[in-house]
Order: sequence, then structure tokens, then C-alpha cells
Amino acid sequence: MAEVSEPAIAETSRPEEPVSEFDPKSMRKTKPGLKRLILTLSVLLSFLLGFPFLWKSVEIYRAPLPFREIDHFSAQLDSAPLLFPCHFQAILIGFNSKPSISSDDLQFAISDLTSQTPQCGACSASYTVSVSVDSDAICAVDFDSDDEAVDELLESTLGGPAGERKVYSVVVVNRDEDVRAVVGKYRHAWISGRVSEAAALSRAAEIFVKVFVNGGKEEGLIHGEFMPVGADGRIVLSFNLLNANPNDGVYDWEFQKIEETVLAPVIEALRPVANISVESQVLYHTPKFSFSYWDHKWSSYIFNTKDLPFFVNSNEWHLDTSVAAGGRSKILHFVVYVPSADEWPLLLQLPNGEVSKTNGFISPMWGGVIVWNPEDPGDTPDSKQPVRHKISYQDLQKVFEVSMGQLRQLFGLKSDNLFVGSSGTSRLLASDRGFTLWELDVLSRQHTCFNLHSCATTLGSLSRLVQSLPRMIIMDEIGKQVHYSLEVAKLAQVNASLGVYDASAVASRQARSLAEDAFYHPSIMSVSYYSFEHCFAVYSPFFLPVSMHVLLAALREWRRHKQENKKYLAWKTKINKAS
Amino acid sequence: MLFKIRTLFDSMAVTPLYLYLFLFLGPSNFSNSPFAHGFPSSSSDTTMHTNNWAVLVCTSRFWFNYRHMANTLSLYRTVKRLGIPDERIILMLADDMACNARNKYPAQVFNNENHKLNLYGDNVEVDYRGYEVTVENFLRVLTGRHETAVPRSKRLLSDEGSHILLYMTGHGGDEFLKFQDSEELQSHDLADAVKQMKEKRRFKELLIMVDTCQAATLFSQLQSPGVLAIGSSMKGENSYSHHLDSDVGVSVVDRFTFYTLAFFERLNMYDNASLSSLFNSYNPSTLMSTAYYRTDLYQRRLEEVPVTNFFGSVMETIHTDAAYRAPSRKTSGRADIKTSPDKMVTDDQIKTTTNSNVLDQSSDQKQADQACPFARLMSSFKNKVQTVEEADSLVNYGLVTMIPLLLLSTLL
Repeated sequence: MAEVSEPAIAETSRPEEPVSEFDPKSMRKTKPGLKRLILTLSVLLSFLLGFPFLWKSVEIYRAPLPFREIDHFSAQLDSAPLLFPCHFQAILIGFNSKPSISSDDLQFAISDLTSQTPQCGACSASYTVSVSVDSDAICAVDFDSDDEAVDELLESTLGGPAGERKVYSVVVVNRDEDVRAVVGKYRHAWISGRVSEAAALSRAAEIFVKVFVNGGKEEGLIHGEFMPVGADGRIVLSFNLLNANPNDGVYDWEFQKIEETVLAPVIEALRPVANISVESQVLYHTPKFSFSYWDHKWSSYIFNTKDLPFFVNSNEWHLDTSVAAGGRSKILHFVVYVPSADEWPLLLQLPNGEVSKTNGFISPMWGGVIVWNPEDPGDTPDSKQPVRHKISYQDLQKVFEVSMGQLRQLFGLKSDNLFVGSSGTSRLLASDRGFTLWELDVLSRQHTCFNLHSCATTLGSLSRLVQSLPRMIIMDEIGKQVHYSLEVAKLAQVNASLGVYDASAVASRQARSLAEDAFYHPSIMSVSYYSFEHCFAVYSPFFLPVSMHVLLAALREWRRHKQENKKYLAWKTKINKAS
Repeated sequence: MLFKIRTLFDSMAVTPLYLYLFLFLGPSNFSNSPFAHGFPSSSSDTTMHTNNWAVLVCTSRFWFNYRHMANTLSLYRTVKRLGIPDERIILMLADDMACNARNKYPAQVFNNENHKLNLYGDNVEVDYRGYEVTVENFLRVLTGRHETAVPRSKRLLSDEGSHILLYMTGHGGDEFLKFQDSEELQSHDLADAVKQMKEKRRFKELLIMVDTCQAATLFSQLQSPGVLAIGSSMKGENSYSHHLDSDVGVSVVDRFTFYTLAFFERLNMYDNASLSSLFNSYNPSTLMSTAYYRTDLYQRRLEEVPVTNFFGSVMETIHTDAAYRAPSRKTSGRADIKTSPDKMVTDDQIKTTTNSNVLDQSSDQKQADQACPFARLMSSFKNKVQTVEEADSLVNYGLVTMIPLLLLSTLL
């Protein structure tokens, strides 16, 4: 019919009127459906939703480490060396006229002697100085008596209760005799004799700086080779009695007794510095490596200092057999060597021709050797059984006194008891705990310094290592150890600023051992593993092709939908134009 | 890595896709960033030399690698004879030759066909044996990261005053050393382990001796100060065995180690021969390879360093002046003596400075292809590729460009 076909004919037969023309390529009559689009988009969406789960599952677990705090800690220690507050006190007795010196003079004298750049462990710039005159209690002390007695009396008057701050005192007594200076076992020293005020002042300042602060050495710093504390804060003292030739006689010792009397107080005294345990053993058939020659003058076999590096026969001396020492403890070997009868007596000759009084030597970080010559090796017995001897208690005590000297040397202190300063020689009293209180203070300060520096460098190395390997697993334990280490280090610094030497030494030791545990954790293996290429190579064959297709499908559908929409809109506009 | 890329492109067919790849060299970097070069200030000059350690590693197994075991055991014997105790030697042997079923002389290992010396005689303490010799264990020994149960005898307990001798022998190649025929120690892993050792102050000085093929490449990545390294051959050269023992049936020693031992057999503990005399005793014609050593990380002059600084035992000793007696008054002498081995300065010797690891480009072959434009393009491309430093990142760019390639291929 004309009406029905008219619009159709009109569309097809009137090409000059494009409004009513239907071009299937650019137009469509119906609205494009959303089914296909929704389908593809939902698949894409599920992929996208799943992607975070996948990412999380291949994520490398790294416990968060406080890198900024570690850097801050290292920088803090580098910029300002750790200094401790010190308190000095000088007491003048027997000066008739009013003394013209004041605490400022003393302070001036002290600052003259201290170096310009303070080293770690030295006194902070704000040390307190006081000078007092003619104190009644001190006057009562009788300086004529024995040095030890004077020391005890001074301690009872000067020494305060344990909790109080530590004050180093020098008592200057003006008497009519030769000048003598003695440094006691606690934290005081005294100078007695005909001494002028100025001389007394300079001598006191020297004692303060060189003895109490620097520990009797010129420079206050102890080198690393005299800090034999292991990385876990423990030392094992291994005492060995070596019988070079047991056929001449087997020597044994009562170690238990001497340990209780001589060693126990020393271990107790060194508690803040290190956690010490003791082991002992007796070895047989342990000849030494070097040779000795017979000397008529001394009528004994002589070995000299040039042979010392070759004395220890490491092939035959099986010293390092400790099972108690952990991997990071330090073992110090103390060897008592009993020479064989055909090398008896064996003496050490020094380069100046004299024979050594101790017959012993040390090697830093290793330990010490003492050659002990028995009284008389006796005649070689005809019987097959070697004669058994026990070293007498007195002999053993003498040997252990030398061992104590060697232990002090290993810690960087001197084994003798004289201090030679620029204004004279002072005598240092010896303590039955192996170390006097002021020496323990020096050790605590130096070890705190060393431990904190070591802790800072270890943590710094750890943070650099961890940051340079972004795909290395870091376990929780390491993060915890680092956190604790920083906390304890802060505590050590606080204690140091308060002047509590022992607590700061203990805390610094803990900080160092925690830092070392974190650094040496067995899971940190820097072998390149779990690299990005590995991850990519494993997962891309699964996901890459499929995701490619999903993405492309979605895009294609989207494009198609837009195209169809455009077509539909074009038709709609045509219709609108037509109507 | 670079070598692989060159062969890759040489054998590639002509496609425009590789131009596509070349064009996509972007700034992204997926590989692990190179290790930060921040050295702590080395205070190795101020610390005292307190002890010597030796880490001797033999990495090959199987009977026909008898000579590697003999190498290591010979050096073990030398080092013990010159004074280093067992407790300061870590000996790692990857296989057991002495008790091997094919050994005609059971419990005996020889390094010479005259059989004069039995290396496995007495007092041989092997710390890591058989399958315990792995790259991981080796790196654990160097860095010190052991499980808590590992005994002290298996740990390198050196400190900041230690001199360490590290001797490695086996089969090696360009920048790697083969362990147990199944894994490799790469030169950058070794360099990283040494760097960590230096940071933790586990050594004062380190001497690395490598006796493998292309040995000098193994320590090419080292950067820590205080390290001296010598290898038996340079890149592209092989190291050869010395002689075949027809009785035992295999070669019994390598040339480099043979001449090293010849040098040391003349010495004893008290001698003062210097390291430069050791290094100069290697003759390239008898070694059939060039023994290359690098001293750029080592501050001291080789003429002043006695070999016993690494190969022997040195104990710094200090005399004990006095006993420490509590109540009595004992004065003492003032003799504090530090003993040190005499240092004898030998004559100045000429040090052979050889340069290795340079990739030579010969551009002569390119002349013939200049006419063909594509060949020109390929050659310039090859040149560019060979000068690329970061080969790893190039491969990563390749991986990244796979994605648009896949896109392309699915759209087509």
C-alpha cells in the first residue's frame, strides 16, 4: 500500500534526503544491548579484584626496621663522643697559711692536661671540681702507718654509700718528709711530704687526669685488641696445665680451691664489663715449638723474646676444646707450661740481658703463657709409672698472681703497680679483686664507648644491607632484636650521662650483643634470590595471555558498544529530523 | 650476561620486532640496585695484626678431579707447617679421594708422581666434607651467619686483627666457580660477602688465591680495601694440570699450585721472603697461563709484606712485667716488649701489570657489510649492545616490551 510502502520507498527512492535513509553500517534501530558488555566487564572486574590478593600472596615478608632511628643513632655517636660526668675533689691538709689556690686553679690545671678533643669515655666538659682545706676527719688519719691501712681509713671517711655519685679525691698532706704519692684501691689517692701548694696542685691534677680518667696510660683510649669481650658479652677463661714430657713427672693442680679464692672475686668485679666463665684442663705430651739453649751464667735453659711468637705449639696444644663457649664468645687461654726435665729450668731472657721475673708473656686477644719450673724434677725413675706431683698451693698462688697480671694486660691495663708521670712516680695499690675500683670505672667507661660504637656500626651495616636487597626476607625476630638493641643503647646513653658506669656498661654490652644477633641472623643470606625476574618468569605464563585476552575483550566490547550507541543515536537524530 | 646477548642477536632472524625492542629502552630499572658503595673509614692501619686464618676450599668432586683435592691438601700442609694451627684453618673438601674406591693407595693422597709426600698422613682435620661444601655454607663461613648449633671448629672466628688466606680451587669460568658440579659461586656474591666481612671488621687483610680456569675473573668485582688477590689465569685462559701420575691414573697437581708449593718448600717458619717474590716466581711459560694479581685494594707494598703474614703463624707477644700481688709491695722492671717478625726488604722487582676484562671490539669485519644498509644497522646495533653496561636492565626492558608485543599479536 502506498502509505505503508511510502515511507520505505520514500527512504530508498529519495537518496537526496538522508534523514529517512537507513544505512545499516552507520545506524541501527534498536538500542544496543548491555549483556555482552556486562559479561566482559564482570570478568575483567573479577580479575582486577583478584589482583591485590595475588600481589599480597607473592609479597616478600619484611619486618619493618627503624632505618631513620638507626641513622640518627649512628650520627649522634659520630658527632658527639660519649662523655661521662666526673667529680673531682682535692683536700689540702697541713698547710699553715690560708691556701691561695681555689677550685678554679685546680680546674685550670686539669683542663691543661686534658686533650683538646675529648675522646670517647673521657670526662664531659662540665666536670665539677672542689677544693677543701683541713677537713677534721682526714686529719685524724695517721699517714705514718702502712699504705693499706691509710687506704682503708681514707675510704671509711671519704667513701660514701654505693648509690651516691662517684667522686675522685686526692688528699695532699704537707708533712716533713720526702714526697710520696700513692693511689689507693678505691677512688682516692694521697700525696704526702714537703710539697708546695702549686706543686701539689699540678700533681693532683695529673693524678686526676692521667690515673683516674685515663687509667694510668698516656692516651685514654684502649685499642680494640685489648677488649677481649666476645660479641655476646661473654668471655671464657680457659686455664691449661701443660706437661711437656709426662715421663719425667706428671704435674697436677687443685684448681677448684684456687678458683674460689683467687678467681671468684675477679670475676665478680668484672661483672659489668663481661660475663665470665672459667674452665680448666690438664694436658700431657705438649712440647713447645721453639728451642732453648743452655746458658752457663744463669745455669739454666734460656729462651728469649724473639722466640716468643713461636713458643705456642698449636699442633700439639689442643687448647680450644671448650664446648661451653658459644659461637660468639671469646676464649682467653691461660697456659701454665711445665718444661721437661731435660730443659729444666727454663727461663725467659729479656733483650736487656736480664731474666724475666715472671717467665710469662701474653698475646692480645689470645691469652697468656707462664713457664713454671718445678722445684726439682728429680731423678728419672726406673719404674715405668711416672711420678705424680701436685703443685703446692703456695706455688699455685704465685702462678695465679702472674695470671692476674696477664689478665690485666689483656684488658689493656698494666700488670705492675707504678705510675710514672711528669711530676713524679706514684705507687698504685693492688686490689685482691684484681682490679681497683677506679680501674673498673675506666674499664666500664671504655667498654661502654666501644660497645656503643660497635652496636651503631653493626646496625648501620645491617640497615645498609637490608636496603640494598629489597627482595630479601626479613624475619620478625630481626626486627625485634633491632628495636631492643636501640632501646637498650638509649638506656646506656642515659646511664652514661648520669654517671652510673656499671649500668651503662651492662646496657651497652646488651645492646651490642642484640645488634650482633640481628646482623648474624642465619636467615640473612645475601645470595641473590627471589629476584623480580624469577617472579615474572613464574607467573607470567599463567596470567599474561589470559589477562591480555580479557582486557582486549573488554576493550573491544566497550568500543563496539560505543559504536552501536553512535549508530543508534545517528538513527534517532535522523528520525527526529524526519519527524 | 653480555656474552649471552651477543650470541642471541647474532643468531636472530630478521624481524622488525627487535627494532621495536631497541626503541623501547626506557628509564625503568627492575633489577636489584647495585650495592651501595659506602665504606666505613678503614682503620686497619691502627689495629694490630694478632692472628692468621686460612680458609682452603676444594670445590670439585669425582675421581678425575683428584688434583684439586691434592692442591688443597698441599696448601693445608704448607700452612700448618708454617705455623697456623688447626683451630684457625677451615678446610673444605668436596669429596674424599683418600678413601675412594678407585684409589690404588688407600688413605694416601699424593701431589707428585714420585710419591714422596703423603698429604693425608697425619693430623688432617677436615671441617666441611663431601656434600657440606656448598655455596651457601661457604658464604656462611665467610660472613659468619651460622645456625646457633654449628660448632666453633666450623666457624671463621676471626677478628679485626686477623689476616685471612682464602684459597679456592676447582673448575671455574668467567665470573664463576663451580661447586660440586651442581651450583656456582658468582663473583658478585663473593664480592658482597667480602664487603660484609669488611664492614663487620672480620679481617685486617685478606689474600685470595684462586687456581681455576679464568681465575682472575672471580675477584674482578671486589671493592673492599685491604684485599689482595691472585689468580692462576686470566679471562679466556685455562689453567692446566702439571703432570699425570700414571700409577694413580689421574693428574695429581695443578701448575699454579705446584709452583706455589715449590716456593714454600724452601721456606720455614722463621723466613722473611716477601709476597712480591712469591708473585714474581710465577713464570707464564711454565704455568701456560698468566698469573694475574690485583693490588689496587691493598695499601702496603708487596716487597714489605712477608709471606708469613698470611701463610704462617704470627703472634704478637708482650712480656708480662710483674705479678699482680694484692697485699705485698713488689716493684718491677720497666721492660715492655713487643716482638714482631723482622721485615726484610727485597730488591725492587718489576710487577707485571696486565689489564684484563676488556672486551675488544674489532671493527674490521664491519667494513665488508658497509654497503648493505641493513647490515650497517645490525652492526651499529651490535656495537650499541656491546657497550651497554647494564645488561641486566636491558633484559628487563625486553621482558617489559613483551606486553605490548602480546597486545599487538592478539589484535592482529
